Amino acid sequence: MTLSLATPAAPFPDLRRLWTDAPALTTLTVVLILALIPLYGAMALDARVFQGDSPWLKPIKFHYALAIYAGSLAFFARYMPTGTRAGRPWRWFTASVVFAILAECVWLSGAAMLNTASHFNTDIPFLTAVYQVMGAFAVLLTSASLVMGISIWRNRDGALSPALRQGVALGLILTFALTIPVAGYLSASDGHFVGDSTRQMWLMGWSRDAGDLRVAHFLATHALHFVPLAALLAARLFPAQALRLVWLSAAVFAALVIGTFAQALQGRPFLPFIG
Amino acid sequence: MPTDPHLLFGYTGPLAMLGWLALALSPLAPRAADLAAALVIPALLSVAYTALILVHWSDAPGGFDSLSNVMALFTEPSVALAGWAHYLAFDLFVGAWITRTARAEAIPHLLILPCLVLTFLFGPAGFLAFFILRASLTLRARMTGATA
Repeated sequence: MTLSLATPAAPFPDLRRLWTDAPALTTLTVVLILALIPLYGAMALDARVFQGDSPWLKPIKFHYALAIYAGSLAFFARYMPTGTRAGRPWRWFTASVVFAILAECVWLSGAAMLNTASHFNTDIPFLTAVYQVMGAFAVLLTSASLVMGISIWRNRDGALSPALRQGVALGLILTFALTIPVAGYLSASDGHFVGDSTRQMWLMGWSRDAGDLRVAHFLATHALHFVPLAALLAARLFPAQALRLVWLSAAVFAALVIGTFAQALQGRPFLPFIG
Repeated sequence: MPTDPHLLFGYTGPLAMLGWLALALSPLAPRAADLAAALVIPALLSVAYTALILVHWSDAPGGFDSLSNVMALFTEPSVALAGWAHYLAFDLFVGAWITRTARAEAIPHLLILPCLVLTFLFGPAGFLAFFILRASLTLRARMTGATA
Protein backbone atom coordinates (compact mmCIF):
# COMPACT_ATOMS: atom_id res chain seq x y z
CA MET A 1 0.00 0.00 0.00
CA THR A 2 1.88 3.00 -1.23
CA LEU A 3 -0.97 5.43 -1.55
CA SER A 4 -3.58 5.37 1.17
CA LEU A 5 -6.73 7.37 0.69
CA ALA A 6 -7.91 6.59 4.19
CA THR A 7 -5.97 9.27 6.05
CA PRO A 8 -7.69 11.51 8.57
CA ALA A 9 -7.18 14.50 6.28
CA ALA A 10 -8.93 12.80 3.39
CA PRO A 11 -11.22 10.00 4.54
CA PHE A 12 -12.44 7.59 1.90
CA PRO A 13 -15.48 9.20 0.30
CA ASP A 14 -18.77 8.07 1.83
CA LEU A 15 -20.51 6.05 -0.87
CA ARG A 16 -23.86 6.30 0.90
CA ARG A 17 -23.92 9.92 -0.20
CA LEU A 18 -24.47 8.76 -3.79
CA TRP A 19 -28.11 8.15 -2.91
CA THR A 20 -28.74 11.54 -1.38
CA ASP A 21 -26.59 13.65 -3.73
CA ALA A 22 -27.83 12.07 -6.95
CA PRO A 23 -30.73 9.68 -6.28
CA ALA A 24 -31.84 9.39 -9.91
CA LEU A 25 -28.36 8.77 -11.33
CA THR A 26 -27.52 6.28 -8.59
CA THR A 27 -30.75 4.35 -9.05
CA LEU A 28 -30.08 4.33 -12.79
CA THR A 29 -26.59 2.94 -12.21
CA VAL A 30 -27.91 0.00 -10.20
CA VAL A 31 -30.73 -0.62 -12.69
CA LEU A 32 -28.29 -0.65 -15.63
CA ILE A 33 -26.07 -3.17 -13.86
CA LEU A 34 -28.92 -5.47 -12.80
CA ALA A 35 -30.37 -5.34 -16.32
CA LEU A 36 -27.15 -6.99 -17.48
CA ILE A 37 -28.48 -10.29 -16.07
CA PRO A 38 -31.22 -10.78 -18.72
CA LEU A 39 -28.86 -9.36 -21.37
CA TYR A 40 -26.25 -12.00 -20.61
CA GLY A 41 -29.07 -14.57 -20.66
CA ALA A 42 -30.01 -13.40 -24.14
CA MET A 43 -26.39 -13.58 -25.25
CA ALA A 44 -26.13 -17.16 -23.95
CA LEU A 45 -29.26 -18.23 -25.85
CA ASP A 46 -28.79 -16.30 -29.08
CA ALA A 47 -26.98 -18.22 -31.81
CA ARG A 48 -27.19 -15.32 -34.25
CA VAL A 49 -24.11 -13.38 -35.26
CA PHE A 50 -23.98 -9.69 -36.05
CA GLN A 51 -20.80 -8.33 -37.63
CA GLY A 52 -18.79 -11.21 -36.20
CA ASP A 53 -20.08 -11.04 -32.62
CA SER A 54 -23.22 -11.78 -30.65
CA PRO A 55 -25.78 -9.02 -31.29
CA TRP A 56 -26.00 -8.64 -27.50
CA LEU A 57 -22.36 -7.66 -27.05
CA LYS A 58 -23.06 -4.05 -27.94
CA PRO A 59 -25.97 -3.41 -25.53
CA ILE A 60 -23.94 -5.17 -22.83
CA LYS A 61 -20.92 -2.91 -23.47
CA PHE A 62 -23.15 0.17 -23.38
CA HIS A 63 -24.78 -0.93 -20.13
CA TYR A 64 -21.35 -1.11 -18.51
CA ALA A 65 -20.23 2.18 -20.06
CA LEU A 66 -23.39 4.07 -19.15
CA ALA A 67 -23.47 2.59 -15.65
CA ILE A 68 -19.90 3.77 -15.10
CA TYR A 69 -20.79 7.19 -16.52
CA ALA A 70 -23.97 7.60 -14.45
CA GLY A 71 -22.23 6.27 -11.33
CA SER A 72 -19.31 8.67 -11.83
CA LEU A 73 -21.65 11.64 -12.24
CA ALA A 74 -23.53 10.53 -9.12
CA PHE A 75 -20.23 10.47 -7.25
CA PHE A 76 -19.01 13.87 -8.46
CA ALA A 77 -22.40 15.42 -7.65
CA ARG A 78 -21.22 15.85 -4.04
CA TYR A 79 -18.74 18.50 -5.18
CA MET A 80 -21.43 20.71 -6.68
CA PRO A 81 -22.75 23.61 -4.60
CA THR A 82 -25.48 22.23 -2.35
CA GLY A 83 -28.01 24.75 -3.58
CA THR A 84 -27.47 23.82 -7.23
CA ARG A 85 -27.66 20.12 -6.50
CA ALA A 86 -30.89 20.40 -4.56
CA GLY A 87 -32.44 22.91 -6.97
CA ARG A 88 -35.27 22.19 -9.33
CA PRO A 89 -33.42 23.00 -12.62
CA TRP A 90 -30.67 20.49 -11.86
CA ARG A 91 -33.14 17.81 -10.77
CA TRP A 92 -35.17 18.19 -13.96
CA PHE A 93 -32.03 18.23 -16.05
CA THR A 94 -30.85 15.02 -14.34
CA ALA A 95 -34.24 13.41 -14.93
CA SER A 96 -33.97 14.18 -18.66
CA VAL A 97 -30.45 12.73 -18.73
CA VAL A 98 -31.67 9.55 -17.03
CA PHE A 99 -34.47 9.31 -19.58
CA ALA A 100 -32.00 9.78 -22.45
CA ILE A 101 -29.73 7.03 -21.09
CA LEU A 102 -32.65 4.61 -20.69
CA ALA A 103 -33.85 5.44 -24.21
CA GLU A 104 -30.38 4.67 -25.59
CA CYS A 105 -30.44 1.29 -23.82
CA VAL A 106 -33.90 0.40 -25.12
CA TRP A 107 -32.80 1.38 -28.62
CA LEU A 108 -29.60 -0.71 -28.44
CA SER A 109 -31.38 -3.80 -27.11
CA GLY A 110 -34.18 -3.32 -29.64
CA ALA A 111 -31.64 -3.36 -32.47
CA ALA A 112 -30.05 -6.48 -30.93
CA MET A 113 -33.47 -8.19 -30.83
CA LEU A 114 -33.82 -7.49 -34.56
CA ASN A 115 -30.18 -8.49 -35.10
CA THR A 116 -29.62 -5.25 -36.95
CA ALA A 117 -27.45 -2.16 -36.54
CA SER A 118 -28.34 0.47 -33.95
CA HIS A 119 -25.83 3.12 -34.99
CA PHE A 120 -25.38 3.57 -38.75
CA ASN A 121 -28.61 1.74 -39.56
CA THR A 122 -29.65 2.50 -43.14
CA ASP A 123 -31.60 -0.72 -43.80
CA ILE A 124 -34.69 0.03 -41.75
CA PRO A 125 -36.16 3.53 -42.31
CA PHE A 126 -37.62 3.65 -38.80
CA LEU A 127 -34.24 2.91 -37.22
CA THR A 128 -32.54 5.44 -39.49
CA ALA A 129 -34.93 8.05 -38.07
CA VAL A 130 -34.46 6.82 -34.50
CA TYR A 131 -30.68 7.07 -34.95
CA GLN A 132 -31.05 10.85 -35.40
CA VAL A 133 -33.07 11.15 -32.19
CA MET A 134 -30.56 9.00 -30.33
CA GLY A 135 -27.79 11.30 -31.52
CA ALA A 136 -29.58 14.20 -29.85
CA PHE A 137 -30.06 12.11 -26.70
CA ALA A 138 -26.37 11.25 -26.72
CA VAL A 139 -25.49 14.96 -26.77
CA LEU A 140 -27.96 15.55 -23.94
CA LEU A 141 -26.53 12.82 -21.74
CA THR A 142 -22.96 13.94 -22.42
CA SER A 143 -23.85 17.54 -21.60
CA ALA A 144 -24.47 16.41 -18.01
CA SER A 145 -20.69 16.26 -17.54
CA LEU A 146 -20.28 19.81 -18.89
CA VAL A 147 -22.98 21.26 -16.66
CA MET A 148 -21.62 19.44 -13.63
CA GLY A 149 -18.04 20.44 -14.49
CA ILE A 150 -18.92 24.14 -14.71
CA SER A 151 -20.90 23.92 -11.50
CA ILE A 152 -17.96 22.37 -9.64
CA TRP A 153 -15.52 24.84 -11.25
CA ARG A 154 -17.49 27.70 -9.75
CA ASN A 155 -18.04 26.05 -6.39
CA ARG A 156 -16.23 27.95 -3.65
CA ASP A 157 -17.40 25.98 -0.60
CA GLY A 158 -13.90 24.64 0.04
CA ALA A 159 -14.88 20.99 0.33
CA LEU A 160 -12.10 20.16 -2.12
CA SER A 161 -8.61 21.62 -2.35
CA PRO A 162 -8.26 23.96 -5.36
CA ALA A 163 -6.19 21.42 -7.29
CA LEU A 164 -8.66 18.59 -6.76
CA ARG A 165 -11.63 20.80 -7.52
CA GLN A 166 -9.95 21.96 -10.71
CA GLY A 167 -9.11 18.37 -11.63
CA VAL A 168 -12.66 17.15 -11.19
CA ALA A 169 -14.12 20.15 -13.01
CA LEU A 170 -11.59 19.98 -15.87
CA GLY A 171 -12.07 16.24 -16.28
CA LEU A 172 -15.84 16.62 -16.51
CA ILE A 173 -15.66 19.53 -18.93
CA LEU A 174 -13.06 17.72 -21.05
CA THR A 175 -15.30 14.66 -21.27
CA PHE A 176 -17.89 16.84 -22.98
CA ALA A 177 -15.47 18.96 -25.01
CA LEU A 178 -13.56 15.95 -26.38
CA THR A 179 -16.41 13.46 -26.73
CA ILE A 180 -18.74 15.72 -28.70
CA PRO A 181 -16.39 16.36 -31.68
CA VAL A 182 -15.01 12.80 -31.73
CA ALA A 183 -18.40 11.09 -31.36
CA GLY A 184 -19.99 13.66 -33.65
CA TYR A 185 -17.48 12.87 -36.40
CA LEU A 186 -17.89 9.15 -35.68
CA SER A 187 -21.66 9.30 -36.01
CA ALA A 188 -21.42 11.25 -39.27
CA SER A 189 -19.11 8.59 -40.76
CA ASP A 190 -20.26 5.34 -42.36
CA GLY A 191 -18.92 3.21 -39.53
CA HIS A 192 -16.31 3.19 -36.78
CA PHE A 193 -13.51 1.65 -38.85
CA VAL A 194 -11.22 3.54 -41.21
CA GLY A 195 -10.07 0.87 -43.63
CA ASP A 196 -10.85 -2.84 -43.53
CA SER A 197 -10.60 -4.41 -40.11
CA THR A 198 -9.96 -8.14 -39.86
CA ARG A 199 -8.47 -8.54 -36.38
CA GLN A 200 -9.56 -7.09 -33.07
CA MET A 201 -8.09 -6.44 -29.65
CA TRP A 202 -9.07 -8.64 -26.72
CA LEU A 203 -11.85 -7.23 -24.52
CA MET A 204 -12.12 -3.79 -26.10
CA GLY A 205 -12.62 -5.14 -29.62
CA TRP A 206 -10.69 -2.33 -31.24
CA SER A 207 -9.24 -3.02 -34.68
CA ARG A 208 -5.66 -4.22 -34.90
CA ASP A 209 -5.21 -3.57 -38.59
CA ALA A 210 -7.40 -0.56 -39.40
CA GLY A 211 -8.17 2.82 -37.92
CA ASP A 212 -10.80 2.63 -35.16
CA LEU A 213 -12.55 5.85 -34.18
CA ARG A 214 -13.91 4.24 -31.01
CA VAL A 215 -10.50 4.49 -29.34
CA ALA A 216 -10.59 8.28 -29.20
CA HIS A 217 -14.27 8.18 -28.18
CA PHE A 218 -13.45 5.82 -25.32
CA LEU A 219 -10.53 7.90 -24.07
CA ALA A 220 -12.43 11.19 -24.46
CA THR A 221 -15.28 9.87 -22.33
CA HIS A 222 -12.86 8.82 -19.58
CA ALA A 223 -11.36 12.27 -19.15
CA LEU A 224 -13.65 12.56 -16.13
CA HIS A 225 -11.71 9.70 -14.53
CA PHE A 226 -8.20 10.40 -15.75
CA VAL A 227 -7.85 14.09 -14.85
CA PRO A 228 -9.35 13.80 -11.32
CA LEU A 229 -7.11 10.78 -10.61
CA ALA A 230 -4.09 12.71 -11.88
CA ALA A 231 -5.15 15.57 -9.60
CA LEU A 232 -5.43 13.19 -6.66
CA LEU A 233 -1.94 11.85 -7.31
CA ALA A 234 -0.50 15.33 -7.84
CA ALA A 235 -2.06 16.60 -4.62
CA ARG A 236 -0.49 13.70 -2.71
CA LEU A 237 2.92 13.62 -4.29
CA PHE A 238 3.60 17.23 -5.32
CA PRO A 239 1.19 19.40 -3.32
CA ALA A 240 3.02 22.63 -4.14
CA GLN A 241 2.79 22.04 -7.88
CA ALA A 242 -0.60 20.33 -7.86
CA LEU A 243 -2.64 22.96 -9.66
CA ARG A 244 -0.09 23.25 -12.46
CA LEU A 245 0.11 19.45 -12.79
CA VAL A 246 -3.67 19.27 -13.09
CA TRP A 247 -3.59 21.60 -16.07
CA LEU A 248 -0.67 19.67 -17.50
CA SER A 249 -2.43 16.31 -17.16
CA ALA A 250 -5.55 17.76 -18.77
CA ALA A 251 -3.45 19.02 -21.68
CA VAL A 252 -1.64 15.68 -22.03
CA PHE A 253 -4.89 13.79 -21.97
CA ALA A 254 -6.46 16.06 -24.57
CA ALA A 255 -3.38 15.54 -26.73
CA LEU A 256 -3.75 11.77 -26.32
CA VAL A 257 -7.36 11.92 -27.49
CA ILE A 258 -6.48 14.14 -30.44
CA GLY A 259 -3.54 11.86 -31.25
CA THR A 260 -5.59 8.66 -31.25
CA PHE A 261 -8.29 10.43 -33.25
CA ALA A 262 -5.76 11.52 -35.90
CA GLN A 263 -4.24 8.02 -35.88
CA ALA A 264 -7.64 6.45 -36.58
CA LEU A 265 -8.40 8.98 -39.30
CA GLN A 266 -5.19 7.91 -41.03
CA GLY A 267 -6.44 4.32 -40.92
CA ARG A 268 -3.78 3.21 -38.46
CA PRO A 269 -4.61 0.85 -35.57
CA PHE A 270 -4.16 1.98 -31.96
CA LEU A 271 -2.19 -0.82 -30.29
CA PRO A 272 -1.82 -3.48 -33.01
CA PHE A 273 0.53 -5.61 -30.93
CA ILE A 274 -2.08 -6.29 -28.21
CA GLY A 275 -4.07 -9.38 -29.15
CA MET B 1 -74.31 -24.92 -26.39
CA PRO B 2 -70.81 -25.06 -27.86
CA THR B 3 -69.23 -21.61 -27.97
CA ASP B 4 -66.84 -20.60 -30.70
CA PRO B 5 -63.41 -20.08 -29.03
CA HIS B 6 -62.54 -17.47 -31.66
CA LEU B 7 -65.56 -15.43 -30.59
CA LEU B 8 -64.69 -15.78 -26.87
CA PHE B 9 -61.12 -14.73 -27.63
CA GLY B 10 -62.49 -11.40 -28.91
CA TYR B 11 -63.89 -10.64 -25.45
CA THR B 12 -60.76 -11.49 -23.46
CA GLY B 13 -58.51 -8.79 -24.96
CA PRO B 14 -60.73 -5.75 -24.23
CA LEU B 15 -61.49 -7.13 -20.76
CA ALA B 16 -57.79 -7.35 -19.89
CA MET B 17 -57.12 -3.95 -21.48
CA LEU B 18 -59.70 -2.45 -19.16
CA GLY B 19 -57.75 -3.77 -16.19
CA TRP B 20 -54.43 -2.42 -17.52
CA LEU B 21 -56.00 0.94 -18.19
CA ALA B 22 -57.24 0.99 -14.60
CA LEU B 23 -53.71 0.26 -13.37
CA ALA B 24 -52.17 2.95 -15.58
CA LEU B 25 -54.61 5.50 -14.17
CA SER B 26 -54.57 4.02 -10.66
CA PRO B 27 -53.27 7.17 -8.89
CA LEU B 28 -56.66 8.74 -9.69
CA ALA B 29 -58.64 5.92 -8.07
CA PRO B 30 -56.36 3.43 -6.32
CA ARG B 31 -59.06 1.33 -4.69
CA ALA B 32 -61.21 1.02 -7.81
CA ALA B 33 -58.15 0.10 -9.88
CA ASP B 34 -57.12 -2.52 -7.36
CA LEU B 35 -60.63 -3.96 -7.28
CA ALA B 36 -60.76 -4.20 -11.08
CA ALA B 37 -57.22 -5.39 -11.79
CA ALA B 38 -56.53 -7.58 -8.78
CA LEU B 39 -59.97 -9.10 -8.30
CA VAL B 40 -62.85 -8.66 -10.74
CA ILE B 41 -61.11 -9.05 -14.09
CA PRO B 42 -58.66 -11.81 -13.09
CA ALA B 43 -61.62 -13.63 -11.49
CA LEU B 44 -63.69 -13.37 -14.68
CA LEU B 45 -60.76 -14.62 -16.76
CA SER B 46 -60.16 -17.42 -14.25
CA VAL B 47 -63.79 -18.50 -14.49
CA ALA B 48 -63.43 -18.64 -18.27
CA TYR B 49 -60.19 -20.60 -17.89
CA THR B 50 -61.63 -23.10 -15.44
CA ALA B 51 -64.76 -23.66 -17.52
CA LEU B 52 -62.71 -24.18 -20.68
CA ILE B 53 -60.42 -26.66 -18.95
CA LEU B 54 -63.35 -28.54 -17.36
CA VAL B 55 -64.91 -29.01 -20.77
CA HIS B 56 -61.93 -29.49 -23.06
CA TRP B 57 -59.13 -30.99 -20.98
CA SER B 58 -60.32 -34.60 -21.25
CA ASP B 59 -60.14 -34.80 -25.04
CA ALA B 60 -57.21 -32.41 -25.54
CA PRO B 61 -54.14 -33.72 -27.34
CA GLY B 62 -50.66 -33.63 -25.84
CA GLY B 63 -49.68 -33.08 -22.20
CA PHE B 64 -47.15 -31.38 -19.90
CA ASP B 65 -44.37 -33.96 -20.09
CA SER B 66 -42.47 -32.70 -23.15
CA LEU B 67 -42.24 -29.53 -25.15
CA SER B 68 -43.77 -31.30 -28.17
CA ASN B 69 -46.73 -32.36 -26.04
CA VAL B 70 -47.22 -28.84 -24.66
CA MET B 71 -47.15 -27.57 -28.25
CA ALA B 72 -49.67 -30.24 -29.25
CA LEU B 73 -51.91 -29.09 -26.39
CA PHE B 74 -52.01 -25.62 -27.86
CA THR B 75 -53.14 -26.89 -31.27
CA GLU B 76 -56.62 -27.35 -29.78
CA PRO B 77 -58.31 -23.89 -30.06
CA SER B 78 -60.28 -24.15 -26.81
CA VAL B 79 -57.22 -25.20 -24.81
CA ALA B 80 -55.12 -22.47 -26.45
CA LEU B 81 -57.83 -19.98 -25.48
CA ALA B 82 -57.67 -21.26 -21.89
CA GLY B 83 -53.91 -20.77 -21.97
CA TRP B 84 -54.41 -17.24 -23.29
CA ALA B 85 -56.91 -16.46 -20.51
CA HIS B 86 -54.33 -17.81 -18.04
CA TYR B 87 -51.70 -15.37 -19.37
CA LEU B 88 -54.09 -12.43 -19.29
CA ALA B 89 -55.41 -13.16 -15.80
CA PHE B 90 -52.04 -13.74 -14.16
CA ASP B 91 -50.20 -10.94 -15.96
CA LEU B 92 -52.89 -8.50 -14.87
CA PHE B 93 -52.75 -9.83 -11.32
CA VAL B 94 -48.98 -9.32 -11.29
CA GLY B 95 -49.50 -5.82 -12.71
CA ALA B 96 -51.91 -5.09 -9.85
CA TRP B 97 -49.38 -6.44 -7.37
CA ILE B 98 -46.68 -4.20 -8.85
CA THR B 99 -48.97 -1.18 -8.58
CA ARG B 100 -49.97 -2.01 -5.00
CA THR B 101 -46.39 -2.69 -3.91
CA ALA B 102 -45.16 0.52 -5.51
CA ARG B 103 -47.85 2.51 -3.71
CA ALA B 104 -47.03 0.88 -0.37
CA GLU B 105 -43.31 1.58 -0.83
CA ALA B 106 -43.81 5.10 -2.21
CA ILE B 107 -42.24 4.26 -5.57
CA PRO B 108 -43.37 6.98 -8.02
CA HIS B 109 -46.07 5.82 -10.41
CA LEU B 110 -44.14 7.30 -13.34
CA LEU B 111 -41.31 4.84 -12.69
CA ILE B 112 -43.54 1.77 -12.69
CA LEU B 113 -45.43 2.71 -15.87
CA PRO B 114 -42.69 1.18 -18.10
CA CYS B 115 -42.75 -1.95 -15.89
CA LEU B 116 -46.53 -2.18 -16.35
CA VAL B 117 -46.23 -1.80 -20.12
CA LEU B 118 -43.61 -4.57 -20.16
CA THR B 119 -45.75 -6.82 -17.93
CA PHE B 120 -48.73 -6.23 -20.20
CA LEU B 121 -46.75 -7.16 -23.32
CA PHE B 122 -44.16 -9.63 -22.04
CA GLY B 123 -45.33 -10.66 -18.53
CA PRO B 124 -42.17 -11.92 -16.81
CA ALA B 125 -39.95 -9.27 -18.41
CA GLY B 126 -42.01 -6.56 -16.72
CA PHE B 127 -41.98 -8.47 -13.45
CA LEU B 128 -38.18 -8.62 -13.71
CA ALA B 129 -37.98 -4.91 -14.58
CA PHE B 130 -39.96 -4.08 -11.45
CA PHE B 131 -37.72 -6.34 -9.34
CA ILE B 132 -34.66 -4.54 -10.68
CA LEU B 133 -36.17 -1.13 -9.96
CA ARG B 134 -37.27 -2.22 -6.50
CA ALA B 135 -33.90 -3.80 -5.73
CA SER B 136 -32.11 -0.54 -6.49
CA LEU B 137 -34.51 1.40 -4.28
CA THR B 138 -34.13 -1.17 -1.51
CA LEU B 139 -30.38 -0.79 -1.79
CA ARG B 140 -30.81 2.96 -1.38
CA ALA B 141 -32.97 2.43 1.70
CA ARG B 142 -30.38 0.05 3.17
CA MET B 143 -27.46 2.38 2.49
CA THR B 144 -29.04 5.59 3.65
CA GLY B 145 -31.32 4.25 6.36
CA ALA B 146 -34.19 6.07 4.68
CA THR B 147 -37.39 4.40 3.59
CA ALA B 148 -37.73 4.05 -0.15
